[in-house]
Parts: sequence; structure tokens; C-alpha cells
Amino acid sequence: MRSAFSKALCRAAEADPELLFLTGDLGFQVFDEFTAKFGDRYVNVGIAEAQMVAMAAGLAKEGFRPVAYSIASFMTARPFEQIRICVSYPDLPVLLVGAGGGYAYSSSGVTHHAGDDLALMSILPGMTVTAPCDPAEIGLLVPQLLKLPGPAYMRIGKFGEPEVRAEEPPVLGKARLIAKGEKVALVTTGDLAYAALEAVNELRKEGITPSLHHFHTVKPLDTAALGRIAAEARTLIAVEESSPAGGLGSSIANWMVRGEHKSGFVRLGPPDEFLYGNYSREKVAARYGYDKRGIMGACRKAWRAA
Amino acid sequence: MDIEALERKAREIRATCIQMACDGNVGHLSSTLSYVDVLVALYYGWLKIFPDDPASPGRDRFILSKGHGCGALYAVLADRGYFPAAQLAEYNREGSSLPCHPCVHALPLVEMSSGSLGHGLGVATGILYGLRRRKSLSRVVVLLGDGECNEGSVWESAMFAAAHNLDNLLAIVDYNGIQAVGKSDDIMGHTSLEEKFRSFGWSAVTIDGSDMKSVTAALTRFPFEKGKPSAIIAKTKIGVSFMEGDVLWHYRKPSEEERVRALAELKAKPLYGPDK
Repeated sequence: MRSAFSKALCRAAEADPELLFLTGDLGFQVFDEFTAKFGDRYVNVGIAEAQMVAMAAGLAKEGFRPVAYSIASFMTARPFEQIRICVSYPDLPVLLVGAGGGYAYSSSGVTHHAGDDLALMSILPGMTVTAPCDPAEIGLLVPQLLKLPGPAYMRIGKFGEPEVRAEEPPVLGKARLIAKGEKVALVTTGDLAYAALEAVNELRKEGITPSLHHFHTVKPLDTAALGRIAAEARTLIAVEESSPAGGLGSSIANWMVRGEHKSGFVRLGPPDEFLYGNYSREKVAARYGYDKRGIMGACRKAWRAA
Repeated sequence: MDIEALERKAREIRATCIQMACDGNVGHLSSTLSYVDVLVALYYGWLKIFPDDPASPGRDRFILSKGHGCGALYAVLADRGYFPAAQLAEYNREGSSLPCHPCVHALPLVEMSSGSLGHGLGVATGILYGLRRRKSLSRVVVLLGDGECNEGSVWESAMFAAAHNLDNLLAIVDYNGIQAVGKSDDIMGHTSLEEKFRSFGWSAVTIDGSDMKSVTAALTRFPFEKGKPSAIIAKTKIGVSFMEGDVLWHYRKPSEEERVRALAELKAKPLYGPDK
């Protein structure tokens, strides 16, 4: 995903001479193409995320298009006040990019975990919050994010994420249909869409055919699509690598309590805990039941009840 | 304006701030009064401003990073013709364009919303980095509190400004010696802000910030050194004898007796209101 982001950034910089890229001293060799082509628009601010975000606000105020980049936990939690006061409050067009969001840095320990990145950004009024599923989607969403009049956050993973094939192209703010189905609807964000798609493909062999909808845009929540999904399916299963509070699952739950439909709701994802032990990302997902196997189990249960 | 006229203007702005604190029923008077001399020196001669076209790209940018001291800024902006002085009576009213911490949605002509400390210098570096790309000669001035310099983000920004040779940047620290709950030197250990800025790669001077001659002389020397951002540590006074050095004036508003006493001592009238 990082290479895809780097490529998308170069294309955007070609199209917009006002684009400036700021990094909090991260992305070793990832942005070599950008620095070679647009060296004077690359600013390594240093390990100073508060400064990076405040500076981005100043640039945006003067009509530039700043893109700020760091590891997700250092891009969101660390300079949260600067994002809130300098960027979000005046509604400035700054794109914040958090690499290794969720538990992509699972084995690096709690300091590098960013299970709360989507929640922290979603709580800010006017912030657009996205978590693309694969490199191709990043390439298609970045230009859309850079057209927004206000601030946005994009969670990206690390390297080598597989491609999620879907007919529909991603449109910012709209849910993306990955697989048609019935009775049970899987709703994902971030690269868990791939695990969900694998689960869907295997379940088909058992005659279980859930639909799969990818919410690359966590905020604003595509409630029109949710309404359609909830009208068709008996159970919605949200799969997210995010804190239970403030992520996609809780946003959907908040929407569901309005009671305009009767479908059931299940959330699969990590718990409200610091995850000690430096376990691999795969082990964490398996332990808390949101890997392929966990998703399949939840789908079978919902399918039987439907 | 000559020095005497600037001093008279500063007294008039102080009288206005005191009237505003009474009308708006709001504290922060010490933080508002202490940098009035600096603000008057900036806005009545030094800053390139266009009150008829506040967003003119060629303007110098002034950022009040210590947003709680905004009473003086509002008074000066009104006096310089950005809006009618009568509007100052709306200070700190609900829904007002002049809230007790500046807000760009309420008053778009302020460069940024402030109130939470430690953000102004960082935003200023972004503005200046951008201005330099546009080959603009506009200067950016940031007014910080001495208490505000407790915030670590100030020093992240100070480091960046020097590393990128932002020599069109002027940071002025309103060293009034008091912060919310005590004396700033007692809290942060009697160390020199001038030396701190210098060690961060800035060119810095300490001046008597309540002496108009010292203030204008320091401003005239800007930029202090080519290639370095400049810092002025302005040791300031509140300017009203019975308020000097008292943390209490961070919170309370003057009684009617105190208001009259202060205006009499200043020998000046507010820019608006019945005593105008």
C-alpha cells in the first residue's frame, strides 16, 4: 500500500504544483521517486509531528495542498491537538496519511498500535476518514481526497497487500460492493476486505452466500448504502481492525439504534484493550475472531439464524 | 507616528481594554494589557497592513498565539479601521464576532483561531514556508506568552524555523512574568528565554517591552541576522499600577471604582462607550 501511495502522490504532484509532502522523518526509500521528481516539495519536518501538522495548516491557509505522513499512531494520537485546533477547527484542506494503521505494526508493541486511528479522526467534526482496502483503491482514492475542500485522514497498511477485485470503482463517501449475496451482509473497512472476500469465496462452497460491502470511507458514513444493505440482509456483520469505540462498527451501531430496520448486527474486531505480547497481526486477528476463519464462523451462525 | 504619539495610543488602547473587560465581563486583563506597547508599535507603523483589503496577499501576517489576550488585538484592529470601534462592546458576548479567544469563523480577518497555547509558531512556519515558495516578502509575526513557552510544541517549531532559515519570521514573547497560577520564572526555573531561542538557532534580544523606544528600536533592526529567525523577549508590564505583578488579574474584572481609577491613571479614554 505504501508503494501505491507513493505512486499516487507523484501523480497528484504532477497535476497540482501546490502539493507539498511533509513527513515526520518516516518512509525510508518509500518516496525516492517523489524526492527525485519533486525534491523542493518534499519536507522532512523531523520527528516533530505537532510541528508537521501545525505547519501543514499554515501551508493550507496560504493555498497550498499539504499531505502529511507518518506511522498511523504518530500521525493521529500524537499531534491530536494540532489536528483538532490548527486543521479541523478552521476546516483546512490537509490530507493526513497514517501508515501501518490498526494493528499493522502488531509485533512492534503497543506504542506502534493504532487501533484508535479511525476513532480519533472520526470524532473530529468535518474530518473525512478513509481506510482503503488495497493498493489499487489507494491510487483511485488519493486524487478524490485531494479535491476535498476540508481535512481528511487516510489509513494505509504496509507493503504487499493483495488486490481485492471488484467491479465497482471506489467513490469517496460511497460504500463499494465487492460481492453480491443474500441474507447476511459483511461490511468491512481497510485491508480486512481481503480476508472477508476470502471468507465469502470459501463459504460459497458450503452454499452460504453473504454479500460483501467495503466502506473505504468510514466518515462520512454512507448511510444510504447502509439502509439498502440493512433492508436486504437479516444480519449485518461489521469487520474492522479498529477499537470497538469510534470505528466503523460503532458508527454503524450508532446509526442502527435509530431503529429504521430490523436486521441484526454483529461486530468482529479487536477488543477495548492494549494488546500486549507483540503477537503477529495474524495471531491477533485469529485470537479475537476477525480473521478469515472468524469471519466464516460468524457468517455461518448468522446464516443458520436467517 | 513618533514615540510620544505611540505612547498616547498605547494608553488609549489600554483604557479600551479595561472598558471591554468590564463590558464583556471577562478576565485575562493582565495578558491583554501587558503586550499593548508591542502591539501598538507593530500596528501603527511596522506591519504592512491593508484594513480595506484585510486578506491582501501582500500583507504581513500577525498571529496572536496567546489567544486569551485578544482584547488588545480587537481594540487595535478596530482603531486601524478593520471594523467600527462601537463593535468592541460585543467583546465576549454570546454569538459575537469578538469572542474571548479569537475564532476565524467569528472574525475571518484574524490569521488563525487561537486559545490553546503552543500552536501559533507552528502555523506561522507553514505560512512562511509557503510565502517563501511564492517569493513573497511578507513578514510573519507571532506573539507568544512567556507561560506559553512551557509548551513543547513551541520548541518543535522553533527548531524547524531555524533549520529552514525562516528569517522573515519574528517571534515576540510577552514576558509579563505571570502565568495562570503563578510567576513564570518560579514555575520554569529562572532560565533565559533569549538563550533558549539562541541555542535553537535564532537571533534573539531581550528588551524592555513597555518602553516604546526600546520596542521600536528592536523592530527597526529586524531581521536581526540574515538566515535566522528573530526573537524579541519583551519584558513587559501591565501598565496599570495596582494590577502589576498580580496573578489575580488573570481572572478578575475591574470593579467600577477600579475601572475609573485605571482610566484616570492612564489619562486616556476608551475608543468606544459613554466615557469615549
